[in-house]
Amino acid sequence: MRSFNIIAGCLATILLLLVVVPLLRMILAADPKILQATLGDAEVARSIFLTFRCALWATLICGILGVPLAYILARWEFPGRGAIQGIIDLPVMIPHTAAGIALLMVYGKRFFLGKAFGSIGLDFVGTEAGISLAMAFVSLPFLVNAARDGFFSINPRLERVARTLGASPWTTFFKVSLPLAWRPILSGGIMMWARGISEFGAVIVLAYHPMTAPVLIWERFEAYGLKYARPVAVILILLCLLIFGILRSIASKRKEV
Amino acid sequence: MLRMEDVDVRLGRFRLQSISLYLKKGEYAVVLGPTGTGKTVLLETIAGMHRLQSGKIFIGDKDVSRLPPEARNLGVVYQDYALFPHLTVYDNIAFGLKIRRKPRREIKRAVDNMAQFLGIEPLLKRRPVNLSGGERQRVSLARALILDPYVLLLDEPLSALDRNTRDRLRRELKRIHREVGVTILHITHDLTEAFYLADHMVIMKDGRILQRGKPEQILQNPRERAVAELVGIQNLIKGISRNNWVETDLGLFEVPLPCLDECSKQTELFLTIPSWCIDLDPGRAAGRYSWLGSMVVGDMSFANGHVEVELIHSSGEALRVTLSRREYGEYEGKLDTGKTVKVGIRKQGISCVTG
Repeated sequence: MRSFNIIAGCLATILLLLVVVPLLRMILAADPKILQATLGDAEVARSIFLTFRCALWATLICGILGVPLAYILARWEFPGRGAIQGIIDLPVMIPHTAAGIALLMVYGKRFFLGKAFGSIGLDFVGTEAGISLAMAFVSLPFLVNAARDGFFSINPRLERVARTLGASPWTTFFKVSLPLAWRPILSGGIMMWARGISEFGAVIVLAYHPMTAPVLIWERFEAYGLKYARPVAVILILLCLLIFGILRSIASKRKEV
Repeated sequence: MLRMEDVDVRLGRFRLQSISLYLKKGEYAVVLGPTGTGKTVLLETIAGMHRLQSGKIFIGDKDVSRLPPEARNLGVVYQDYALFPHLTVYDNIAFGLKIRRKPRREIKRAVDNMAQFLGIEPLLKRRPVNLSGGERQRVSLARALILDPYVLLLDEPLSALDRNTRDRLRRELKRIHREVGVTILHITHDLTEAFYLADHMVIMKDGRILQRGKPEQILQNPRERAVAELVGIQNLIKGISRNNWVETDLGLFEVPLPCLDECSKQTELFLTIPSWCIDLDPGRAAGRYSWLGSMVVGDMSFANGHVEVELIHSSGEALRVTLSRREYGEYEGKLDTGKTVKVGIRKQGISCVTG
């Protein structure tokens, strides 16, 4: 038993160090003067806010479309449910640059869907909408899967009892299912938002400009080297950690009893 | 009040077949059947949660077969009580009234009255997670009763409770039924519960209703072997009908027996012998007995103020007799394992069923 604990502890520590050491090294190695100058750089601030905003849009839109899908996957029995679940998980598996190319082929000007959206003034190539679309495509499994698990964990009898007490399916959803599943949904939303912020591959294909923070980091690394890319990365990481920490603490806060 | 006519429901491989049921207003009906027999599906079908393949369901004179659950006004209490964990006890009880957009003051008055009736006033501000099983059951009952449902559907409401609480709440259910006068359909696999509560009993197995009627009628005259086993008749003896006799491994049983007319067309049948019609050391009144003979006392078990005695016949056939402690005391010294006792099986009480 003791040897098991020691080995399991060592293996877990290796994995944690794998994540923590590079981040710490980058943060600690940052030159404070350049960091300060970067903080005042309008382009950096603009790209970070753009990234956060686009990821938020992606999360909100996927929330509206994805929560009903998650409910259906959790509650309905129908042929093809497994296939739909597979489709939801697809974006995790395919390379994100390939996802970007696929999106470009559908939402670009050469395909009818891109043309149709263009005709109502919604262009996806080189726009904020394109960035949000790319972020949504690659990160939606996080939200849908978390929401599905959340709904699945609710005793279906609660919903049935609500119906016998006079609640319509809509009222049951909003008064029983959603209030009981909001924590997993919020948790999934946070994960989706965070994943959206970090998206690079699909975004550069669909919308290199306006530049999101990951694209800006890449460009500065390419143009000026590690010294000037690092401060932007450090600021992005610190901001993400701060917001992520606050949201996670809300989502995982113990229920009042 | 509630009428089901030839209802068929299919859920995956499971099927409810030709269910016909009639509940009078104010009646306490109990559906008794083994686990996995479709009792909960029956209850949920009545509540409108499953689509009917065929047949009709009426509440009063109204055909509700196609109505959704929210349009039927039936109360449901599940085995796990299904209280909304995110709401307080007050909000759980008030849920249906709030859906109906009743004025706040009216809701408060109704909840307070119901809480007082069920003795749960101190719990109103608590959350379900902090309640005991018995308290949850009362809250669940309050939530259903407050809407004055046409029929209250109870899905094994006592099975998750410890024995003492179960006994107490069984009495409580009887009181509620008496005082509120609501029509109740209660499903259970517990014999004691069923016989204690039922005005009307429905015996169910494998998605079918085997028999329904007053509990004592079913007990005295089970229609088939499965019913006899489900209502707890301990002794089933296989026999062959021969004019005025039934030939069994115990020997010949004198007839007429109350239901032999029905069974006489079958050569093979089972005699159901309730414990109370087995007399030990029967004395001289031989005319009242269908069978008289000697048996050896086998295992005995002592529980709940009763003694269960196994009697083994020389053919290997065994009977079980349940005696009160007082009766057991009267046979002091005669009922030791291995001793031979005289046994008489009374004509009154025996019935015969088909396999």
